[in-house]
Amino acid sequence: MANYTSTEMMAVCGAHAVRDGERVFAGTGLPVLGAMLAKVTHAPNAIIIYEGGNVDCRNKDLALSVADSRLSYRAAASIGLIETLGFLMMGGRVDVGFLGAAQIDEFGNINTSYIGDFESPKVRLPGSGGGNDIASSAGRVVLMFTHDARKFVRKLDYLTSPGHLSGPGSREKLGLRGGGPALVVTDKCQMDFDPDTLRIRLKSVHPGVTVGWVKENVMFDLIIQGQVPTTPEPTAFELRKLRALDARRIYLGKGEK
Amino acid sequence: MTEPAVEDKRITLEEAAKKIPDGAHIAWGGFGYQRPPEALAMELIRQHKRGLRVYTCGSEHDLDILVGAEACLELEIAFFAIEALGLAPNLRRRAKEGKVKFEDYSNLAMALRFLGGALNVPFMPIRHLAGSDMMTKTRLRKDKAKTITCPFTGEPITLVPSVQADFGVICAQKVDLEGNTRIFGIKGEDNEIARSAKTTIVFAEKIITNEQIRRNPDLTTIPGLYVDYVVEVPFGSWPMQVYGVYDYDLPHLQMYMEQCQDEEGWQRYLKEWILDVESHDGLLKKIGVKRLRQLRAHRQYGY
Repeated sequence: MANYTSTEMMAVCGAHAVRDGERVFAGTGLPVLGAMLAKVTHAPNAIIIYEGGNVDCRNKDLALSVADSRLSYRAAASIGLIETLGFLMMGGRVDVGFLGAAQIDEFGNINTSYIGDFESPKVRLPGSGGGNDIASSAGRVVLMFTHDARKFVRKLDYLTSPGHLSGPGSREKLGLRGGGPALVVTDKCQMDFDPDTLRIRLKSVHPGVTVGWVKENVMFDLIIQGQVPTTPEPTAFELRKLRALDARRIYLGKGEK
Repeated sequence: MTEPAVEDKRITLEEAAKKIPDGAHIAWGGFGYQRPPEALAMELIRQHKRGLRVYTCGSEHDLDILVGAEACLELEIAFFAIEALGLAPNLRRRAKEGKVKFEDYSNLAMALRFLGGALNVPFMPIRHLAGSDMMTKTRLRKDKAKTITCPFTGEPITLVPSVQADFGVICAQKVDLEGNTRIFGIKGEDNEIARSAKTTIVFAEKIITNEQIRRNPDLTTIPGLYVDYVVEVPFGSWPMQVYGVYDYDLPHLQMYMEQCQDEEGWQRYLKEWILDVESHDGLLKKIGVKRLRQLRAHRQYGY
């Protein structure tokens, strides 16, 4: 049994996706923890932005909403949506954006809107929010969600936010300026994108997970090249910092050891 | 120079809700957990409104009660959930029943639609939405968004239609009798909503004097000339939060999420917290001074 949970593993992988000095757009949930953890470990100069309007956040308490008053405490500025998703995001000034997904296809296109047929959906999900804006214009996108075979589908029920659409050149053709998804983090593995085809490729499996298990739990043909490495375990330092950020275990409460 | 008289735009919460007829289109302020028009939502329900269409980026408990009470079943919207607490329970049920009609946009698309309305131009360009199903799958509008070739650069660009709703409703920390409004903390899309709607109503935690406004005009985020009516409603965004004034009532929200998963639980909530209290004052009495004091924001932190 590991001394960390699968959720903690995801948050740490999210943190590793942030480089020092980058401008980071985070949503509520695990991405918040990933971005905050990066800032208190290897990326102290990262600038965290939330779409509600808070820019360069150094909040001391964890937020439940992207508009949470907690995010204004010690932020550099509290403005609005046209500032964050307009001037900063569409303006091309954001390096990395984090998103969740209920469904993803082999090009990293995602659905956060409807499960089932659009005309009579089984479940209405939250919708785009700023997701489509982030997916369209962020320098690169990191997708984070728990692993479930039903999420990795051949065809989305609804395409909310563009990944690499139908492959090389398709984003450019529509005038989308952001780089699209670069990394997928689940509680079982990490995936990136094959540079030639822009299809999802297995990058690493978390300790205790086999390549075979991942293959079986993705409903499209996952690209697997050579020997797939094991994701490094979180360090004691990272776990200590992470747990301090979410002392009440609002987001870390889920997941298994 | 003689000072002109200060116009008094004050009305009560009940009068504000009365001005909004069945079938009205409303640009709905607040963003996420921040400054949602909760007191208005509850009063619209008490007045049994029907057929409202709401335009907003993202709203949560406030819209979930409007949808639960079936006052509003048409939404042009980007986001609808209670964020960290989960999917909106009434919305989820009403959507499954096939009663709610959505026109889905992104947050920036909705904010730009209000900005276009405020600028009095018919559409706004956006580099987003292209390639997504939001472009083509429609329910309420014939023309939802179009990608054209830019006449200047030749590049593809998407256009979204502007919104000038019948009513714009926003919550603020402070306002004077003329509607000069101070929003502290994040503004979401409220500055654009206030300038785009045909009739704008500001719900404020506190009314301050025109003299106070004029002493620090740089703090005014919405000049009174955009504002038609002013309503003073302390705790008008409860159980959500207002930056610098009070925090969200998390145990109440958690109770809401748990209880309203089924229709019976929602009907109990509706009766106990909205109908039986009869008014906003009745609601505050039910919550109680002790609890309201606990929710008051810490001066240093703002929550």
